[in-house]
Amino acid sequence: MSRSELDDRGGYWRSLEHLAEMTAGSQDSSGKAERAREIPSNPWTRRNFLTLMGASMALAGLAGCRRPVDKIVPYVSQLEEVIPGVPRYYATTMPLGNSAYGLIVESHEGRPTKIEGNPEHPASLGSADCLTLASILGLYDPDRSKSVRHKNIEKSYADFVSFWRERHSSFTAGEGSGLAVLSEAFSSPTLARLKRDFAKSFPAARWVAYEPISDENIYRAVQNLTGKTSRPIYDYDRADVILSLDCDFLQTESENVAAARRFADGRRIIGADHVMNRLYVAECAFSVTGGMADHRLRLRSGEIGRLLLALAGKLSQMGVDTGNVPPSGETYFDERWLTALAEDLVRTKGKSLIVAGRRQPVWVHEVTLALNAALGNIDETVSFHGMPDALSTDRDEFAGLVNQMSAGAIDTLVILGGNPVYDAPADVNFSAALGRVEHTVHLSAYYDETSRQAEWHVPRAHFLESWGDARSADGTVSVIQPMIEPLYGGHADTEIFALMAGGRELRGYDIVRETWQSLLKGGDFEKQWRSVLHDGRLADSATPPDKYRAMKSWSKLWSEVPSRPAAASANSLEIGFYPSHLYDGRYANNGWLQELPDAVTKLAWDNAALISPKTAEELAVANNDMVRLEFDGRSLEMPVWVTPGQADYAVALALGYGREGLGQIADGVGFNTYLLRTTGADSFGRGAVLAGTGQTYALANTQDHSRMAGRPIIREATVAEYRDNPEFAREMVEHPALKSIYPDHDYSRGYQWGMVIDLNVCIGCNACTIACQSENNIPVVGKAQVARGREMHWIRNDRYFVGDLDDPRMVHQPVACQQCENAPCEQVCPVAATSHDREGLNTMNYNRCIGTRYCSNNCPYKVRRFNFFNYVSEMAEVVKMAQNPDVTVRSRGVMEKCTFCLQRINRAKQQAKKENRLVRDGEIMTACQQACPTSAIQFGNINDPDSQVAKLKQADRKYDLLAEFNVRPRNSYLAKLTNPNPKLSGGSETG
Amino acid sequence: MAQIFPEWTNKLPTYLAIGVVVLAAAAVAFVWYYFSPWYTDVGYRPLQPVPYSHKLHADDLGLDCRYCHNSVEVSPHANVPPTQTCMNCHTLILPESERLLPVRESFSMKLPLQWVRVHRLPDYAYFDHSAHLRAGVGCVSCHGNVAQMKVVSQKQPLSMGWCLDCHRHPDEHLRPHEELTDMYWQPPADQAEYAKKVRMEKNINPPVVCSGCHR
Repeated sequence: MSRSELDDRGGYWRSLEHLAEMTAGSQDSSGKAERAREIPSNPWTRRNFLTLMGASMALAGLAGCRRPVDKIVPYVSQLEEVIPGVPRYYATTMPLGNSAYGLIVESHEGRPTKIEGNPEHPASLGSADCLTLASILGLYDPDRSKSVRHKNIEKSYADFVSFWRERHSSFTAGEGSGLAVLSEAFSSPTLARLKRDFAKSFPAARWVAYEPISDENIYRAVQNLTGKTSRPIYDYDRADVILSLDCDFLQTESENVAAARRFADGRRIIGADHVMNRLYVAECAFSVTGGMADHRLRLRSGEIGRLLLALAGKLSQMGVDTGNVPPSGETYFDERWLTALAEDLVRTKGKSLIVAGRRQPVWVHEVTLALNAALGNIDETVSFHGMPDALSTDRDEFAGLVNQMSAGAIDTLVILGGNPVYDAPADVNFSAALGRVEHTVHLSAYYDETSRQAEWHVPRAHFLESWGDARSADGTVSVIQPMIEPLYGGHADTEIFALMAGGRELRGYDIVRETWQSLLKGGDFEKQWRSVLHDGRLADSATPPDKYRAMKSWSKLWSEVPSRPAAASANSLEIGFYPSHLYDGRYANNGWLQELPDAVTKLAWDNAALISPKTAEELAVANNDMVRLEFDGRSLEMPVWVTPGQADYAVALALGYGREGLGQIADGVGFNTYLLRTTGADSFGRGAVLAGTGQTYALANTQDHSRMAGRPIIREATVAEYRDNPEFAREMVEHPALKSIYPDHDYSRGYQWGMVIDLNVCIGCNACTIACQSENNIPVVGKAQVARGREMHWIRNDRYFVGDLDDPRMVHQPVACQQCENAPCEQVCPVAATSHDREGLNTMNYNRCIGTRYCSNNCPYKVRRFNFFNYVSEMAEVVKMAQNPDVTVRSRGVMEKCTFCLQRINRAKQQAKKENRLVRDGEIMTACQQACPTSAIQFGNINDPDSQVAKLKQADRKYDLLAEFNVRPRNSYLAKLTNPNPKLSGGSETG
Repeated sequence: MAQIFPEWTNKLPTYLAIGVVVLAAAAVAFVWYYFSPWYTDVGYRPLQPVPYSHKLHADDLGLDCRYCHNSVEVSPHANVPPTQTCMNCHTLILPESERLLPVRESFSMKLPLQWVRVHRLPDYAYFDHSAHLRAGVGCVSCHGNVAQMKVVSQKQPLSMGWCLDCHRHPDEHLRPHEELTDMYWQPPADQAEYAKKVRMEKNINPPVVCSGCHR
């Protein structure tokens, strides 16, 4: 079936139930059946609510007449730069493993409220991903550890310091033998300097880095191949053909934000003659990157290497020097697919790119790099940058340390960050080894699984509370500067590192400045230091690319290829571990991230064992069934979610869930998949067994919420089809002339705000949703409410599958309020709480809303959100500090929706008026637009013909969602394009 | 047979009818006034932690409003001054005064003074001082003649209808920038012309749509 045929049948579906309805011709499109599922209910029944409300009403009469006394509390001595009511913006950096993301943080009177990307920083380019944006909520988390603890008893920091000084002097005598440090990976000049100091003081001590998710395999491959410690940086924008091997470079790999921007730049099409890149993806579980693929091959992770072998063989036939490729021995790769891919790679030599995911073993990375070299891509689309000041994870070192601990050879272990008791491989049994160590110290933001077993626990400061520094992937160095004093008495990494190394208490500020004395050479230090703090990075500090020279011959590479894995079957599944919205679990207590529906599964507040429809059928399990997973002698019970597009006989598990005693948000959510993860199978392994238990479990899934079924919501074409007919998107809907029964407003003058979302580059990463949540004070409602369809996100990301149930394509579409000029919601509001303003905004008056919800009923896009409860009342006081003071906090019984970030519009308009000018194009960025890693969202004045948004509105691919209803949305979409290989047209593109 | 009801009762229906009308009118008038911010809010004059007199400082001594409320032209908020501002003068003037004890305590103990808010808008209304001053609305238009107040009280209802009155007819409230803080400024005879000109120049179109103030 061709793509256009599928489209004619309304071939887009959201869930298995939806697909079944479509084939059965049923009309129930609201997903009510799904919503009616039994969910844990709130103890607040209607009856006891009314009882209590009656009592409170009676009491309220006594106190209701007096005007509440409101206090104004000014500063005692005001800081010179602070103007109450005017936010300030500071540059800082978020470190994550060996990466660093430059940020701009909005601060209201010393209270950070919003994180944005720093446009000048090479790793963020002005955008940010979900984790970065949501980390502002983690700053205020009331469940963070608030005190030093010694054997679970609260102690002061001074007690800890005197303990350490005593250890420090006793170790100095023995040169540190018996002392070990287990830290997280870092790339930081200051931390590296302190680590060197530590090694000088304690030459016999051991320092190991461990993180469950890391780029270790990639670094090792580069090391093995070139003999240098450097990391590859990919210029996706310069690649015409990209092959991704199990590599979700748009979402879960490191450097994803810059990768997404570069990838989008190579894909953005303006005008029919523009060239667009082509993406081939081979992966196991459906990822965001897989959704963008022009050709996707679903393949178990363990067989990715075999594909690489087969590809190398093909390339060798085409004259690319790949040595004497051993036969892959695989017969199940589609010959046509492989040939077309190889031809494409050869055709675009020097402008092609092969990337492998960090889940893949070292040899796959080595071969990938060598193939890139053979294709002439080095220094074109791939470059290598040295990693000065970096410490990366090393699983052999970690295993060695744990062995030493078990053998009793370690007297004192200092764990700086991380949570190895929770996330170390299950076969290592870190917990038992920890018990053999006499003195243990754990620096951690939460009193977590590891802290509870450690002798000393020291609260760790959030990066927004700390002084530090970091290097991004290309070596650009930037400062981490605090936005606020530590809220809960946490201590910065730099301070603790300095204490460990020198036994002295130093201020983070002094420690970092000392390092920078050598980084900022020549000229006035103070001036340069200030400009680094202001800009958020040291200009031109990127390390020059390393020369690539392979130390390994092809024959050596091929000799190390492991033998072919045994075939997977329903009785011997491949098990795979993936980072989730909670990353490795460190974001588990973040309500925004917990409630964010997964980009592919749309699950919120849980993780599930993901399996393909065919596997589910063979194992006789269905969505929400509890299953027992057995792997390598360990077992875990968790629910199943059937995910179209996943490789058969593979189960995908998200990491980071199933916490206990961490915090109110994290506890009891999801299932701890680390229990099955072993050293040998830290990314994937073979031989898992899955069987139903007969129990069921209620997962909260939003994929059937807010459906707009049976209409051409998503419009897409191939590049070839687009060239034939650039107006295809508009022509997909035919409707009579649109006439309104209401008088038309005059929108021809003044600012008229509009938005365009380019579906061609939208990757569905959900950053817009979190950015909006942060900017607009959107509450977290909890699993039970989400299961009822009451999530509050103003911008949601609809995910559609299209085509075959087993191997569909995936399309994303962000939907916020479309700001209709002829808005159906306004026409049914009995109290005129929602009305239009002269700049074309569909406005919402919370104070006037009486909560009839007629507007939501009448909204064809289902983007209005209702406050069924007073969600803010359950919010801890300290979390309210994260709220944006420029946006009303909504109460119970009020409807709300996207405002196009009205507060930002008003601020820019007033600023422009003060300066006697008009608002410039690009001056107002909505929160979603600003966060979008691919710049898919544009916003501005559509009355200004020179504005970016007005130009995009003229684009041939532009279409308005459900325009046939004559609602005249101000938000438009640009149709999605795919760029399939003409040689693979037709349905057999997948292997 | 003698009449049961005396003669005057014949007029009872009339009286009753009049009475009902009068009562209804009175009730409407009562609610109209006594339930409105003109009664509930105007005149609100809470006691402040320091007996600060605007009359003394702004009128007798002639301090400009913006000496203390210095963010009023650059921020949505007209700030209440930090204790430091008081101490700028009061380290030398009346350094021993008992009435200034809370100020000195605040300064030495680094504890902020807690003033009681007089002019209070609902949380869902976003008023911007700087925008109004730029347009040329003087302090007195909303706050009354503060320079005559020993204790500050609310002079205007600050209700939405009252805001909209001015947003619909702003002309009489617009004044030159140098007159913003003058409590006794009177519009000149050619105010209408001046307003027309300045509205053109400064692009002053007070919003009367919801999104102007609510977000």
